[in-house]
Amino acid sequence: MHAGSSNRLKRLVAAFAALLVALVLVPSQAQALTTEKATARPNEDGGSGVIGGIPTRLTWEGVVEDGESITSVTLTLPNGASFDNSTTKVTVLDNLTRIPNDATATPSGNTIAVKLSDPAKAGYKLRLEIEDMTFPSEGGDVVVNGSYESAGKTQELAPSKPIATIANTWLQQMVSFLDAQPWVQAWNSNQFLGMFLKPQLILTSLFSLFPGWLVCLGIVVVAYPFAILLGLVFALMKLSKFRVVRAIAVVYINVLRGTPLFLQIYIMFFGLPMMNINIDNNVLGVIVMAINSSAYLAEIFRAGIESIPTGQYEAAASLGMGRLMTMVNIILPQTVRRVIPTVTSDFIMAFKDTSLLSSVGVMELMMFSKNLTSVTGNMTPYVTAAIFYLIVTLPLIKVVTIIEKRIARSERGGGPRPKAKVADAKQDDEQTPAEPEGAEATLASALSAPFRAGTSVFGGVADVR
Amino acid sequence: MFDKAKAKVEARREAHRVPPALDAEQAASEAHERDKGLTKHHFEPHEHPCVRIEHLMKTFDGETQVLTDVNLTVWPGEVVCVLGPSGSGKSTMLRCINLLETPTAGHILIEDKEITGHLVTKEVNKLRQNLGMVFQSFNLFPNLTAKGNVMIGQTKVLKKSKAEAEAEALKQLDAVGLLDRADFKPAQLSGGQQQRVAIARAVAMHPDILLFDEPTSALDPELVRGVLDVMRDLAENGGMTMIVVTHEMGFAREVADRVVFMEGGVVVEQGTPEMVFDNPQNPRTAQFLGSIG
Repeated sequence: MHAGSSNRLKRLVAAFAALLVALVLVPSQAQALTTEKATARPNEDGGSGVIGGIPTRLTWEGVVEDGESITSVTLTLPNGASFDNSTTKVTVLDNLTRIPNDATATPSGNTIAVKLSDPAKAGYKLRLEIEDMTFPSEGGDVVVNGSYESAGKTQELAPSKPIATIANTWLQQMVSFLDAQPWVQAWNSNQFLGMFLKPQLILTSLFSLFPGWLVCLGIVVVAYPFAILLGLVFALMKLSKFRVVRAIAVVYINVLRGTPLFLQIYIMFFGLPMMNINIDNNVLGVIVMAINSSAYLAEIFRAGIESIPTGQYEAAASLGMGRLMTMVNIILPQTVRRVIPTVTSDFIMAFKDTSLLSSVGVMELMMFSKNLTSVTGNMTPYVTAAIFYLIVTLPLIKVVTIIEKRIARSERGGGPRPKAKVADAKQDDEQTPAEPEGAEATLASALSAPFRAGTSVFGGVADVR
Repeated sequence: MFDKAKAKVEARREAHRVPPALDAEQAASEAHERDKGLTKHHFEPHEHPCVRIEHLMKTFDGETQVLTDVNLTVWPGEVVCVLGPSGSGKSTMLRCINLLETPTAGHILIEDKEITGHLVTKEVNKLRQNLGMVFQSFNLFPNLTAKGNVMIGQTKVLKKSKAEAEAEALKQLDAVGLLDRADFKPAQLSGGQQQRVAIARAVAMHPDILLFDEPTSALDPELVRGVLDVMRDLAENGGMTMIVVTHEMGFAREVADRVVFMEGGVVVEQGTPEMVFDNPQNPRTAQFLGSIG
């Protein structure tokens, strides 16, 4: 224990000493060639990153210090990088004047040696543009090292600032693969296909838009239960017998339904911070969506409740049920069945409306695709965003249709019948109605069918949006 | 603002206040005297009527006068059939009895207790438990099975246990001949079956009085008989007090203790079925019965 800690102390002291030596030594080493710049051109399709393993251009600039004359420069990159097959353009500048120079570049693996025909004098700037070189495929920060020859002496170059590179993932390899395919090139040469349905961009957008899609779903899925609760409260308030309560509900519903969601978003996102109320963007998005949807849901629920025939209230009343008991036990259960299709439609609306949140910087699907499109100048990310929206909405649209059919069928008595309990039931002179062909009901008949066979001929609830 | 509302309530109460003349004992003997020859009901000594309607008036929206001056007494166990052309106010009178409509003026007394004008919601609910109602359009709860329809009033209003309510429901469904349809939804039942479930639902609450509002009018002719059979069984074997608004002359003649003919918001004639059907005193009654055949 004791020995261990003293060991560590020794190591610390050693490290400190090494640091001191380094600090003293480094400035004393006179640099004759200072690296000014080392950058790489982005080669990410639809991005600004530098990807390893894919050809790009490395630009390196150095300035010759006083009393030196440089005859050759050698640049070295970490293992995995390659200068093979690269072509190098060498420029020697005296301020803004170009000094003619016949330079030769000899690439070999991860090093490249550049020999100048005339030595570069003090104050000259040396620029190397190495085309078609590749960085290591594993990515990471890459530092350019090297050496130079000045008056016959070889000296080390100070390391450059690191260049951030991205690993060459399987996705990048797929993109490179697609880039090389003749059919892709042919496809993209069509102006429409290349602009809206570029295969490489579809592939990359699918991955880069995914987080935005999750945010959209998250916002609406979290917001909706609150919206349903709020909506039910305001629906019941609107049906209240007290005028003041009714008025509050009417104002709430009409203001929210009568103004654009876009405006509501602006008011909330810019208004609250001005009152020094700072809420996380996503949370605020949930709040805005919940409040907005609640107004529409309130109207849907109100219409649903009002579509229940008076006879139901009277029947409940004649059993001695109070208002609340009737609402909870008789009216609401029937309302729920009736409003499910409309509520689902509203959910679809709300999900699509999350796109408006992009205008205030919520990082959702629309925001991601907008960014990607502005970087690539291609419409494909928008088309991919459309695909993401459709993944959610199309099945829901189908679900609405199925539920509507099912409700229509069950209310008309076409559903599966429970088995009769008493086998020797006494013969009825009444016949139960024949089973309708409910399964193949059209949308129109499905909408008109609820409660058709029953006592009341009330249609479904109209979509109030 | 509140003063105004208070005054309004006060005025309404005033309109319905039972005058001292309506002393229960005296009224009972007067009604007894009046109804003696008009019903097949066997009067007990000192019997009090279970429904007493005095000068009942009902206007809708302050202009349409549906009931002008209805006076009617119904005795315990009596079956009263109310006849009359449409628009004569039969249904409105019936709905006034369990306060589905609020009477504009006049008095309704259920078992000598005034119900008009001054009841709070709780009292109204309590009153309605005691008055079963069967509607023309059945009004079954479509989201519940036949059994569920019969059970819900017992579990929610009478606070019976589920098992108890279920046993009662099955018993009542059996009584109307629908035990085998207990698990069917209303939409899977015919109109006649639905109405029989509705009757079972009302009877399961064990009310003192059953009100029938044209129970067979919405049914196909061949389905009417089943419903009438159930009602006849209730009247003859159940000993239930029933007020039946109907157009079924055969049923009225056969089952009713008394037939009441209404016209223009007043009772124009009442008496035993034989009196009204065979020897109507009022020309309007005669004309109506003649037209129906």
